[in-house]
Amino acid sequence: MLAYLLRRLLWMVPTFLGILVINFGVLRLQGPTLSEEMDKSIRNDGARNADLVATGVENYLGRFRSTGLDLPALVNLRGFTDIDDVVALLRATERGPAVLEHERNRAEKDLWLMGRLLVEPLAAIVADDALAELHGPASMALSLCAYYPLNPEDLGRLTPEQQRQRQTRNHALKGLRIEYANTREAGFATTDPDAAGKRAAIAAFWQANREDFARDGATAWRALVVETGFCDFMRKLFTGTLYSHQRKQWVFSLIADRWHVTFWLNFASIAIAWCISIPLGIRSARRLGTFEDAATTNVLFLLWSVPSFFVGTLFLHHLCTDTSTGKAWFPNRGMSSEGALWLSTPRYLLDLLWHAFLPLVTLCYASFTSLSRYMRADILEQLRSDYVRTARAKGCAEDRVVYHHALRNSMVTMITLGSGLLAELFGGFVFVEYIFSIPGLGSLLLDAARSNDAPLVMGSTVVSVGLLLIGILIADVLYAVADPRIRSRYG
Amino acid sequence: MAEAATSPLGLALGYFLRMHSVRIGLGVLALFVLVAIYAPFLASETAIVWRDADGVSFPLFAELFNRRSYPQRHDLLFNLLVFLAPALAIAWWALRRRWRPWRRVLWSLAIVTVAWIACQVPMLPSGGSWQAVWNDRPSPEETVRRHRAFAADDAPGAVFALVPHRYDAPYQGAILRRPGTVNESSGRAFLLGSDAVGFDVFARMVFGARISLTIGLVATGLSLLIGTIIGALSGYLGGWVDIVLQRLVEIMMCFPTFILVLTVIAMTSRSIFIIMIVLGLTGWAGTARLVRGEFLSQSVREYVTAAHALGLPQWRIMFRHILPNSLSPLLISATFGVAGSIFTESGLAFLGLGDPNAPSWGLLLNQGRENIAYSWLIYIPGLAVFALLTALNQIGNGLREALDPKSQR
Repeated sequence: MLAYLLRRLLWMVPTFLGILVINFGVLRLQGPTLSEEMDKSIRNDGARNADLVATGVENYLGRFRSTGLDLPALVNLRGFTDIDDVVALLRATERGPAVLEHERNRAEKDLWLMGRLLVEPLAAIVADDALAELHGPASMALSLCAYYPLNPEDLGRLTPEQQRQRQTRNHALKGLRIEYANTREAGFATTDPDAAGKRAAIAAFWQANREDFARDGATAWRALVVETGFCDFMRKLFTGTLYSHQRKQWVFSLIADRWHVTFWLNFASIAIAWCISIPLGIRSARRLGTFEDAATTNVLFLLWSVPSFFVGTLFLHHLCTDTSTGKAWFPNRGMSSEGALWLSTPRYLLDLLWHAFLPLVTLCYASFTSLSRYMRADILEQLRSDYVRTARAKGCAEDRVVYHHALRNSMVTMITLGSGLLAELFGGFVFVEYIFSIPGLGSLLLDAARSNDAPLVMGSTVVSVGLLLIGILIADVLYAVADPRIRSRYG
Repeated sequence: MAEAATSPLGLALGYFLRMHSVRIGLGVLALFVLVAIYAPFLASETAIVWRDADGVSFPLFAELFNRRSYPQRHDLLFNLLVFLAPALAIAWWALRRRWRPWRRVLWSLAIVTVAWIACQVPMLPSGGSWQAVWNDRPSPEETVRRHRAFAADDAPGAVFALVPHRYDAPYQGAILRRPGTVNESSGRAFLLGSDAVGFDVFARMVFGARISLTIGLVATGLSLLIGTIIGALSGYLGGWVDIVLQRLVEIMMCFPTFILVLTVIAMTSRSIFIIMIVLGLTGWAGTARLVRGEFLSQSVREYVTAAHALGLPQWRIMFRHILPNSLSPLLISATFGVAGSIFTESGLAFLGLGDPNAPSWGLLLNQGRENIAYSWLIYIPGLAVFALLTALNQIGNGLREALDPKSQR
């Protein structure tokens, strides 16, 4: 039994990892929306005053660095760029006759996002007298590549001393930008009167922060794999440090307040669906061919086609709203009344049931059809088998034949089917929580999706899938309980 | 019909068409398709026929292929069908005794397409492009001003659509009107009321049918394509390909489809096109599993061995020999898949995550949820989704009963 469960758990690991990979892929889809915002902020100041541009970019850099979107998805080759590569990158941002405006903007943005691994070559370019025409853009790129704002994710990892150090560093970066004109005629000509002083300041900055930004072979190779969007996402997920910048809260603390509502709603509805559809299926099978069988099948089939959001809205309209014709029988929002915590336990439970009744019905009516259909088909098959004939020949009562012999064997099939159906039924809770304003995982996911809050969407998706996997695991346990072959095979 | 009934396919078809539920389902589906195709004639502000001092003109027909009047791509396709559908029906009827069904479909399509292109050639401006034909019609603003005047004294002989209301812009001040109340700006009634923004519900419903059908067909087509290829490779090649692909299928099965779609929509833009693609890319796992099972059982048959012995290439055996023999489960799952995609699309719109510019049924139902006292905003779109889903599910169920050799007839 334990060996069987362990085996099932181990099989879940690649599945879960695969789901995380898909999730990460979806997260990377989101890039353009943020970049467009950033583009707008860069384009908005026509003067291209270096300080103004930089302040606009810094605001977004904070969010980029926090979501890991500034890092390449899977392989980070930035540690291996030499000075020539960086010069080529800088040249791509030059306004020339052949360069399109939006391409130039994109090249500029890509360069500024490159991050700490580019600081060393950029500092070398500024120190190099032979590359005097690039000093302006290089100093600008350096001040942004070295800029790492203190995101909430970092606060836990850095000591107060390190935090202070980083803040002074970020502050010092503002004085390093050499003003330059980026025009067709003059190219990157330096317009700053204090260019020499700023070059000296950059050299001093590089000396002071050498250990933060220096890259030897080991750093570059380590960054190749570790400093990627994927590793960053995984690290944040497993250390629980996903942070929602829109809500200014930790993703997992938001989820911790809400996941249990969804968990109980889902599992209660699945349990109810089973408790109702199995007797229905048995009844249909025992009265094969009668009017009752046909009627049950047809009505359930029709019920299956009713979209759950329609049913939920109908309930809300007819049973939860004071209209001119009717009165509200059920509450229309939440899972408990105001002040429910001060009620006695039985009354609290009653209140909970009152609130949960319609959501539960909306969640589970759709699964009656498939479950009772499978049950009917399976019981019919079992009743035709040899062991049932033997049992009948022994003189067993029909009830005993059905409930003791046939049902036991059908349960094995039903549990297998049930765990397969789980993923299909799971997801209905988003509708139900939206319709009945229940503060669960579904409404959180929905809010996050509407406001493009990527870390929160990722966190709540992963947790929902986790809940689903727990459900599948429970089904596996039940399977082992129902099927003696499993127990005998695994000892 | 007599000679067709001897083939297993003919038998199954006859059995399929004799079921009452299937007949009703097909009827309802046909109704929805007709409504979707002829939507501009059911709800449009532009006059169909306009008679004034200058003579007779047909402004609605002139507008059908104008990108400015119908900015959504799928609208252009349906407007094409306004003419293509009857032409197809006639071609199908004319070829009725010649060939087997699929050959008839292909030939009718070919004939109609050639005829259509021939009709278009005179419209090509000399040295111009198709783009010019598409975009440089008389300006719609001009048409609007001339032909949308509702006052009857301007043109006593004008013929308008069933409901002369637009679907793409709200009527100012006409908010949450009951069905049957008069719209002051047109002088005609809101047949099914108006919603909280001032849209005519009837016009939204009629054009919403186009969206539902497009989403259902395109998304299911895409997921069938992916599912068939993956299932075929997995079932036929076996070995490590099978192991890897089965892991992939299992991951997709474990991922609640609706949540995955929700997440992708949240991260990308909310357009009908994206929703279709996402639904297609996420819904293939079930199909892949079905096709794999079918390929596993078919690939040990004699005809496959014979094809091997003839030295046919693998892909040919897979897609020309085994696939046609395993079409029936595919067909059944496609029907249910269309229903599923329609449900998901209207569900997304209901949650406020659909295309904000598309007149989806779910969007109307969402208004019903937000203005809970107004029952027509709940019943009309809800019953439409229910009717379409029921029709498709009944057809799928009928197909299963007709094609599945295990079901008792």
